[in-house]
Amino acid sequence: MNRYRNGRFGVLIGLLVLLLTGYRASAHVGSAGVVVQKQAGRYTLLVSVQPPDVVPGTAKVTVFVEQGRVAQIGARPVYFLSGDEGAPTHDALVRQPDGSFAGDLWLMSSGSSSVELSIDGPDGRQKLVVPVVSVATALRDMPAGTGMGLAAMGLLLVAMLVTIVGASNADGVFRSGQATPTQLRRRRLAGMGVGLVLITLIMTGWRSWWTSTATRYRQEQLYQKPALLTTVQPTTAGGQPGRQLLMQIDTTRFGERRQLRRPLSFMIPDHGKLMHTFLVRTPGLDAFAHLHPTRLDSVRYTTGLPPLPAGRYLLYSDVVYRSGFSETLTDTIDLPAPQSGHIALADADDSWLITASQRAAANTRPLPYLDNTMVSCGKPGASAPLADGATMVWMDKPAAVLEADRPYILKFAVADSSGRATALQPYLGMSGHGVILRNDGSVYIHLHPVGTYSMAAEQSFVNRLADTTRQFHYPDANRFRDSIDRYVARLKTLPEAQKNRQLAAAMPAMRHAMPVNNLVSFPYSFPRAGRYRIWVQVKRQGRVLTGVFDTDVNDPLL
Amino acid sequence: MQTLHQLPVNVPAAPSGASRVGSIPGYIYAVVFSSLCVVTGLLWDIMWHISIGRDGLFAPPHLVIYIGAIVAGLSSAYQILHLTLTRNHPGRAEAVPFWGVFYGPLGAMFCVWGALAMLTSAPFDDWWHNTYGLDVQILTPPHTILAIGIMTVQFGAMVGVLALQNRLAQTADTGTKRRLQALFALSAALLLTTLFTLGSETLGRYYSHHSIYYTTAAIIFPIFLLAVGRASTLRWPVTTVALLYMLILGAPSWILQFFPATPRLGPVLNPITSYQPFIFPLLLVIPGLVVDALMHRFEKQAGLTDWQRAVLYAVPFMLVLLAVQWPFGEFLHTSPLARNGFFLSYSWKYDNPLDWPYRYAFSPRQLQAPAMFWSGFSKAIFYAGLSARVGLLWGNWMKRIVR
Repeated sequence: MNRYRNGRFGVLIGLLVLLLTGYRASAHVGSAGVVVQKQAGRYTLLVSVQPPDVVPGTAKVTVFVEQGRVAQIGARPVYFLSGDEGAPTHDALVRQPDGSFAGDLWLMSSGSSSVELSIDGPDGRQKLVVPVVSVATALRDMPAGTGMGLAAMGLLLVAMLVTIVGASNADGVFRSGQATPTQLRRRRLAGMGVGLVLITLIMTGWRSWWTSTATRYRQEQLYQKPALLTTVQPTTAGGQPGRQLLMQIDTTRFGERRQLRRPLSFMIPDHGKLMHTFLVRTPGLDAFAHLHPTRLDSVRYTTGLPPLPAGRYLLYSDVVYRSGFSETLTDTIDLPAPQSGHIALADADDSWLITASQRAAANTRPLPYLDNTMVSCGKPGASAPLADGATMVWMDKPAAVLEADRPYILKFAVADSSGRATALQPYLGMSGHGVILRNDGSVYIHLHPVGTYSMAAEQSFVNRLADTTRQFHYPDANRFRDSIDRYVARLKTLPEAQKNRQLAAAMPAMRHAMPVNNLVSFPYSFPRAGRYRIWVQVKRQGRVLTGVFDTDVNDPLL
Repeated sequence: MQTLHQLPVNVPAAPSGASRVGSIPGYIYAVVFSSLCVVTGLLWDIMWHISIGRDGLFAPPHLVIYIGAIVAGLSSAYQILHLTLTRNHPGRAEAVPFWGVFYGPLGAMFCVWGALAMLTSAPFDDWWHNTYGLDVQILTPPHTILAIGIMTVQFGAMVGVLALQNRLAQTADTGTKRRLQALFALSAALLLTTLFTLGSETLGRYYSHHSIYYTTAAIIFPIFLLAVGRASTLRWPVTTVALLYMLILGAPSWILQFFPATPRLGPVLNPITSYQPFIFPLLLVIPGLVVDALMHRFEKQAGLTDWQRAVLYAVPFMLVLLAVQWPFGEFLHTSPLARNGFFLSYSWKYDNPLDWPYRYAFSPRQLQAPAMFWSGFSKAIFYAGLSARVGLLWGNWMKRIVR
């Protein structure tokens, strides 16, 4: 009975619903769409997957072919639970007038899923997988137009039904002339009265059923994440007084709320770290830190705090589970002023930065002194000074103000203090990390050169696709957790080059080299209009450097 | 004051072209055909969902349902408009006047209402899917409107046949009477199949040892079967309708299972290559036979009230149903002999794991302690009594429909 789903009428209604209703998403904090730039054989593809905001629902898949001769692209959903063997057949994506390929893909289960693309053409047959988190995030009210149309039809139906019941008790059971008009009228009215009472009772029950379904959707299906309880504590780790963050995942409602429950022992490291925590001071977004907490037990994580200035901070902690399900746990904390003295960071890959607040930066054009030397890659853009005297330049920015819902490749180049292109070193196994934040904190994403998804999730799916078992069975939780803790601890002790080799080997997506070694690029589609700040982190001469850029994003014109 | 019997009865000898003695208007065949389309489409749609999974607006089973709705809605609307717009139409004497302007046979009014309800459910269902996700169960608020629409169209077909049958009771030739009896039994069995399908979530073999199975049966069957038993002019109406229900429900499954089908949604935990059948029907014909026999005995017995008759019919119906379905449900669920193309117990949805331990065994959740079962069954008998009483009332009304 699942009719009207893919029809033109359904699309129109869907568009109307989207236009007239609010859209609230939580996964990855407001940026549920996945944008991926990937090489598969001779093909270079930019893939955009917009997961459904209600489940079961349809994901919108769009593939832009940047390189390679593609004849056709097929797509199918692959769930972690059932893997390759349990995935349905591929659906052919339809070639669009602009040359891209697009289609809708049904995602039936909540949780960790992925889209597997099968590319075929003269340049060979290739497959690639894009992890997608599929959760219900939408809370919609009925649009006024639909509501009024349905109410009008409802009234007509009630009026007709009351009439029919009345007639059934009067004219319907008498032949012509068998009853007087008065008798008929009396019986008709009696029938209509009884009919109206019955219809009212039935509709009251029906409406309360609808209300209870809506409540159940909000309480049981809508995505919720466990709360993070963060405290700042003094520490003397390393022999110096300092501060540390203690984060505890709130498990107190795991029993009563199924959708809050998480397999906390089955967290897996993403590029070598179990948790990536970002702290950003609000408002202004001027102080920033990227930290990697250590797991104390299955619910508690801790990390040393750099000397960030006092203020209120938004905290985002990215985690990935064994199934490839990734999410961002959030909290807001007030940091007191730091004590004087040099504080050593607990993890060599941690970094922090204080820069101009966004409001000031938005009215100031950064100095373009390096732009003229960087024209080889196209139109120069804004530049940001880095801590070691080098400069990072936003290359090929298509416009001063960007457009929401449009996939972009955000490219950043680094030049040394003399303006020459300078080589970058791998940072956590890749050429760079990016963080994008809307100034109200409602959109946050931690992204990588290949895309907006978690590398660990992708690896989970690559392995799962190679596994022919139809249903995944979890191993022993304690042993799994211990093995992950040992792996992460050992990775910390490895020399930098060896660590990067290991991390790169574990990330199939990173095996293709960046075209220019001073360039780092991130595919991304801004989900909403607003003012955004972008932190781009690279490593040069053994030091993590952060370039900061601001941009405004408008709603799409169409 | 004049009583009804004293009123002059003016029965036209040849009332209208639409209901000539000895002929059944094409409109009656059209609405019964609609009812058949809707049920066939519904059963095919269910099998589509357990075998293929994904569908669209114009999926073949949906088209069959639409054809049913369109044929019933349009032929009935035409009937009403024709009577309304033709001045002095002789058929108006056999139609119901309403809203000061319109004239229509009662059956046509039900059919138009059902078709409009089905139409209304479409945008509501679409909004529902956009708001709460695609539903994976049969009963949701918008699907209920659709289901009520479908059943009203089917009921309209029954009413259309009944009006003709009751009107021509004295005047029709034997052939016409037989055809009307057959059309009524068929239209009733089609509606019974829809009714069963809506209740099928708790009327599956998994629940045949649980009181909820008998509670559902107690609520939906006596009301319908006794109404049919009262209104039909057949000698064995309940048995006939129950037998037809078994054929109508079983036939699509028995046939469609030989056609290829591949799951188009994941996860595919059961990699099927052909349609999975829906369900083997309840053996309603056996309790139906008992009810018919009891009706032969008690319907004309003086001194009995319909409350007493309701008890006399409902209690044996429930006891025979239990005596039949308990062992037969166990056979269907656990016996290897039931896992074939006739008894259909091998059917397994594409996204159900093949190693599910209760595929062929009763799960503890579907079993009850004897005290719980008998307490639930006692309540079921009580509901069956009420349901039977309402059914007799409804049957009385159906016997009197003449327009």
